[in-house]
Amino acid sequence: MQQKGLDFEGSAGPRPGRRRALTVSELTDRIRGVLETEFFDVWVEGEISNLKRAASGHVYFSLKDADAQIAATVWKSDARRLRFRPEDGMHVLARGSIRVYPPRGSYQVSVQLLEPLGKGSLAQAFEELKKKLEEEGLFAAERKRPLPVLPRRIGVVTSPTGAVIRDILRVLSRRYVNLDVLLYPARVQGEGAAVEIVKGLEVLNRLGGLDVVILARGGGSLEDLWPFNEERVARAIAASRIPTISAVGHETDFTIADFVADVRAPTPSAAAERVVQAKEELAARIGALQDRLGAGLRLKLTRTRARVEAAAAHRVFAAERGRLHVKAQRVDEMMRRAERALLGLLNRGREGQRRLRERAEAFRWDRQIAARRERLAYRSGRLQDLVQGGMDRRRAGLARLASQMEALSPLAVLGRGYALVWDEAEGALLRNATDTEEGRPLRIQLHRGVIRATVESREPE
Amino acid sequence: MKKTEVITFEQALVALEKVVERLEKGELPLEESLQLYEEGIRLSRLCHGKLEEAEGKIEMLLKDARGEPALDAKGRPETKALSPPENEEAG
Repeated sequence: MQQKGLDFEGSAGPRPGRRRALTVSELTDRIRGVLETEFFDVWVEGEISNLKRAASGHVYFSLKDADAQIAATVWKSDARRLRFRPEDGMHVLARGSIRVYPPRGSYQVSVQLLEPLGKGSLAQAFEELKKKLEEEGLFAAERKRPLPVLPRRIGVVTSPTGAVIRDILRVLSRRYVNLDVLLYPARVQGEGAAVEIVKGLEVLNRLGGLDVVILARGGGSLEDLWPFNEERVARAIAASRIPTISAVGHETDFTIADFVADVRAPTPSAAAERVVQAKEELAARIGALQDRLGAGLRLKLTRTRARVEAAAAHRVFAAERGRLHVKAQRVDEMMRRAERALLGLLNRGREGQRRLRERAEAFRWDRQIAARRERLAYRSGRLQDLVQGGMDRRRAGLARLASQMEALSPLAVLGRGYALVWDEAEGALLRNATDTEEGRPLRIQLHRGVIRATVESREPE
Repeated sequence: MKKTEVITFEQALVALEKVVERLEKGELPLEESLQLYEEGIRLSRLCHGKLEEAEGKIEMLLKDARGEPALDAKGRPETKALSPPENEEAG
C-alpha cells in the first residue's frame, strides 16, 4: 500500500525517503507493545454486560460505563478463584492487564482480580450515612412517635402498579376495616426515585388529614432498594409531621428509611396489618370499657339493693316504709333510663352489623367462583357471630340488670308479702297506727290486687 | 361534659376510661352512678362513631410533571379511585 505525497521520515523502513508501509502484523505488534507495556497493571471499574461463560471455563464480558466499553476476559484459572459469580449489570472493580488479540485486532482487559464494587461501595455508603444520621440522633428512640391511636386515613408512597399497593389494599379489604387510603404514586427504584419519594412525603404532609404514612417497596437487590438508603429520603422521613411506617423489601432487608421511620414493618402487608390491628384493638378496648361500665352499674345496684333490703327487714314497714317506697320508685326510674341508654347502644350494634353485611356484599368480588364465595360466607358468618356474640352478651347484661332492678321495685317488695296501706278517703299512705282512727276506710295494696277494709282497732307503739 | 362540646377521639376514650373507673369504685350515690353510666354510654357511642368515621375510600393522587398534586376547578387535589384488589389468595 502506497500513499503519494507523504513523507515518512524517521521511519524504520529500509527505503528512506519513500514511505514504507507496515504490515498489519507489524502495526498490531507495535500497538501491542505500547498498550501492553503502558497498561501492564491497571485497575478499572465499570458495569458488566454481555457476559458469557465459555465451555472452556473462560469468562468473557464487556466492562462499560456511560460512554465507553472495553472487552474483558477472565481466564479459567483466574475465574475459578473468583469469590462471587459475576453477572450482567454488576458494578465491578477489575485488576489486570491490557492484552491485544492480533487475529481480531482487538484489545481487552485480561482480568486477574475481580470484585463486586457495586455492592462494596454501596454498602460502604450505607454504613457511612447510617453512622452520620445516627450521630445526628435521627434514629433515636425518643424521636419515634407512636402510631396514631385512631388511624382513619392512611397515606401510601409507593408504585401504583406493583404488587406492593395490591398487598396493602388486600389486607385492608380482607379485614373489612373502614379506612381511607390515599396513594402518592412514586417510582421506588432507579434514577429519580428518591426525588419522587421525597416529593410524595412532602405532598402528603402538605395535604394533611392523614393519620399515618406508609413508605413501601417490594423486595429487590441492594441497588433496587437504594433510593430508601439515600440521605434526602431519610431527611424527608425525619421531617414528616405524620407518623411514618417504613416497609421496604423483605424481612431481612434493612434500609436507612427503616431506621428513621417511626415504625419499621418487615413487609408492606405487615405495615397494613399494623394499622388495621391498631383499629381492631381500639374497637375491642371500647367494647371492654362498655362491658365494665355495665358491670360497674350492676355492682352499684347490687349494693343499693342490699341496703334497701336490710332497711326493709329491720324496720318492717314502719318509719322507713315511705322512704323505701320513694327510693324504690327512683330505682325504677333509673332502671328505665339505663334501659333506654343500653337499648340505644344495642340499636347501634344492629346498625353496625347491617353496615358490615353491606360491606361484605360490596366486597364480593370473587362472585364467580363458588369456593371463594363459600369462604366469604364463612368469614362474614363468623363476623356476624362475633357481632352477635357481643350483642348477646350485652342483652344478657341487660336482662341481669333488669332482674336486679326488679328486685328493688316496690312491687317486688310486695311480692315478698309486704303490703301498702292507704287511708281511702285522704289517699295518705299510713306509716303509724296513729295515722288513722277506728272506723276509717282503708285501701290495702298487695302484690296482686287491692283489699278494701275498715279500721277495727289500733295498737300504737 | 356538654353534648355540644367537640372532643377528639382520644379525649373521649380517656374520659370513658375515667368514667368506668369511677363507676367501678362504687362510692357514689345511685343517682350519680346512673348519671355516670349514661355519660359512659354516650362516650362509648361517640368513640364508636369516630371509629367508623372513615369512608373506606381508596384513591390515588394525580400529579403534574413536578410531582405536585393536580388540582380540580375548586382547587382540590384530583384523585382517581383505585379498585380493591382481586382476591388472589390461593386455595
